[in-house]
Amino acid sequence: MNTEKLVTAEQFAGALAMAVEGIKKKPGLMKSAVPHMQLIHKYVENIATAREKGKWVIAHGTQQPLEIYEAMDCVSLFIEFWGVIADVVKIESVPEALSISNSIGTAQEVCSFFKNMDGLLEAGKWPHTDFFLYATSSCDNVKAFHTLGRRYGIPDFGLERPYHPWSPQAMDFWKNEHKRLIAFLEEHTGKKMDYDRLKETTRLSYRLTELTLDIDKLVAHVPTPMSPECFAATLLAVRLFAGNQTGVDYLEGVKAELQERVDSGIAAADPERFRIMWSAFTPFWDTSLQAFVQQKYGAVSVCEVLSGWRGDAKWLIDPDDPLACLAYRSQLAPGNCQFAPSVDWADQIVNQARKFKADGAIFNNNWGCKQAAALGPLVRDELLKHTGVPTVTLNVDVLDHTFTSRAEIVSQLDSFFEMIETSKAYKARRNLK
Amino acid sequence: MNTPFNALNEMIRLTSPFPESVAVKDWKAAGRKVLGWVNPYVPEEIICAAGMLPFQVTGNNEPVQMQGAEAYILSNSCSYIRTCWQLQLDGKYGFLDGLVSSSMCDQDKRLHSVWEYYQKLPYMDILYAPRKRDEVAVTMYTADLEDFRNRLSRYGLRWIPDRDIADAIRVYNRGRELMHRLYELRKRDRPPVSGAEALEVSKAAARLPRARFNELMEQLLDEIERSGREIKKSRRLMVIGNDLHNATQIEALETLDAVVVIDEMNCGIRYAWGQVDTKLPPMEALSRYYLLGRPVDMHHWISDGRLDFIGEMVEQYKVDGIVSEIVRFCTYNTWDKFDLKKQMDQRGIPILEIDLEYGHPAGAQVKIRAEAFMEMLESRAG
Repeated sequence: MNTEKLVTAEQFAGALAMAVEGIKKKPGLMKSAVPHMQLIHKYVENIATAREKGKWVIAHGTQQPLEIYEAMDCVSLFIEFWGVIADVVKIESVPEALSISNSIGTAQEVCSFFKNMDGLLEAGKWPHTDFFLYATSSCDNVKAFHTLGRRYGIPDFGLERPYHPWSPQAMDFWKNEHKRLIAFLEEHTGKKMDYDRLKETTRLSYRLTELTLDIDKLVAHVPTPMSPECFAATLLAVRLFAGNQTGVDYLEGVKAELQERVDSGIAAADPERFRIMWSAFTPFWDTSLQAFVQQKYGAVSVCEVLSGWRGDAKWLIDPDDPLACLAYRSQLAPGNCQFAPSVDWADQIVNQARKFKADGAIFNNNWGCKQAAALGPLVRDELLKHTGVPTVTLNVDVLDHTFTSRAEIVSQLDSFFEMIETSKAYKARRNLK
Repeated sequence: MNTPFNALNEMIRLTSPFPESVAVKDWKAAGRKVLGWVNPYVPEEIICAAGMLPFQVTGNNEPVQMQGAEAYILSNSCSYIRTCWQLQLDGKYGFLDGLVSSSMCDQDKRLHSVWEYYQKLPYMDILYAPRKRDEVAVTMYTADLEDFRNRLSRYGLRWIPDRDIADAIRVYNRGRELMHRLYELRKRDRPPVSGAEALEVSKAAARLPRARFNELMEQLLDEIERSGREIKKSRRLMVIGNDLHNATQIEALETLDAVVVIDEMNCGIRYAWGQVDTKLPPMEALSRYYLLGRPVDMHHWISDGRLDFIGEMVEQYKVDGIVSEIVRFCTYNTWDKFDLKKQMDQRGIPILEIDLEYGHPAGAQVKIRAEAFMEMLESRAG
């Protein structure tokens, strides 16, 4: 088994510390680009140093109550983000981890985020993990947490979210699942939950929600002030730092800078020819794709469907009952409606297209994602029907750069932007003849 | 050549042509409704108690060309859901009045969504399929089933009373008991039915009015006993993995010196397993049976019990080798593969792993691999 290209948490932390210094010297970026990279560095460093600090590490899937982990003084490790970091730091790492996963019999067509973890665990390069925590409100791959937990002796707990979450009994059930999660953590860590601290992490998380909505409004401005290097700001903060002051401080800074740019008339692109919404983000092995799209086509990235909250997201219904708030929060949280019926998901995306005044949508059909494979076409049709916004589908593996190439993507994007520009809907939106 | 059974022939006649069969046409001709169901967390008993025919939505013995379906469901999803959707696009499921699914897997959920969005039927429903097997899950699932009963009652313009559900439970319990008896017969050193025949029986159960199926099943068991039929093959196989509805895939294995004596499919042994407790209130009884009363399946997070169940069946049915047939893009099965292989290695049971497209017949490559597998079993025996 070849493991030379795999990177440990300590190596990631070292590389990201250098990246922070590098980005400080790079001209023409938003000021928030430096804290952006610092945020990522801090996240990884927390994981790399958790053991020496005597902290428990929770490796988890998407849609998790990080506020609870924060209140229990545990360090969170979002397994999907670990694959993203691998792509950013050393692009050869993921294909090697996937290859190891293949070699032990895990099917090739399984989600690469999970296969990456599978391969790294097999190779002994996965960060130290005390617990696996997960929820139904993501995808079937979360079964891997129990399977791998059984294999490597890591205790696991899954939160089960009802498919129809809005009835009173479903909400009670879901809140109770959070209680069971706390009981699991208390049992395994020997610590009791400090509910005053949980109220505080919940309050911080709510502040983060408010900031993301404020930032959304600024990004929706025409022309948008958001540049590609900070496009992931809200996604990162909400998915990695919910319940933590660091995330709040970071987004306060982003918001202030965007406001300043709007007030000063600074646009991400001039002219702003197209406004693009992304679905399933960018292929992570090609993080400069959004900058490339902006430069080549004048297409600014204005929203990512996995970053959008449902409605006004007023989930702090009772600050003295943090579990009820968190249970409600997760139903409104970005990406949660992916677990719901597709039409519900499509409605959210249509609303986003309107809110951000999108001209086109780029849908990454992530090879291993079974949720998206049947969701994409329906969303595409719904978007076109209600907003006249066309979609291009990129067949990619968002983690594995060997699956498809930049050249193939560019070829599709060339035709896509040409098609948008000549479309009636685009001309009508821009008052062009 | 084994003599065919009249009762099985009658099941096949009544369920042909697929899917709008003789039985379906007869049912509809009487002005009654047919509801399609998609996975094993939809209790057929409730549909039956509503006076409607529960009909499992599947493919059959012929592969389906799926170019049309892939415009709606991309090709990196399982071919089972694409097959079902293609059949709908082709008008084959035009007789359905409704569709009921559950959130058992991502792909079943999406099939339901696509169907609802593009070709909505008069009745569409989707239930919650818990990943855990515990009392908390039973409570939630029972509430979901009650909601389902309410919605279906509104659609049928008739309240579905407990009494009718209890009657339906008795009919379905009888069907399970009869199907299980057939499984018991396959434990014999020389089983009286092939794996392909047994699959046809299970498919008929999911496509015929259950009372009629039960009559034919009683006749079949009687015929089997009277015939003294024995299948003389050297090797005994178990098929595990995804549901297969193309019996020719099993037939291909049985053209070799082997007979499939047991499976681990939702449309196979699980469909014949256990009894709904008739002493409990019917809705709670259904909930307990569907969640806790059947062997752990691939969709459960804690699948240790599934691996144990496969091991137990290997012992009980004196299995020489396992054929694991996994439909490509099935997430659940792949995560069990590693530990399953390890456990079966410990038991000395070899596994032939076949990745396939749902509904396709066994191609030359599969046959070659199966032959090599049989040779390996032969050499171990020698």
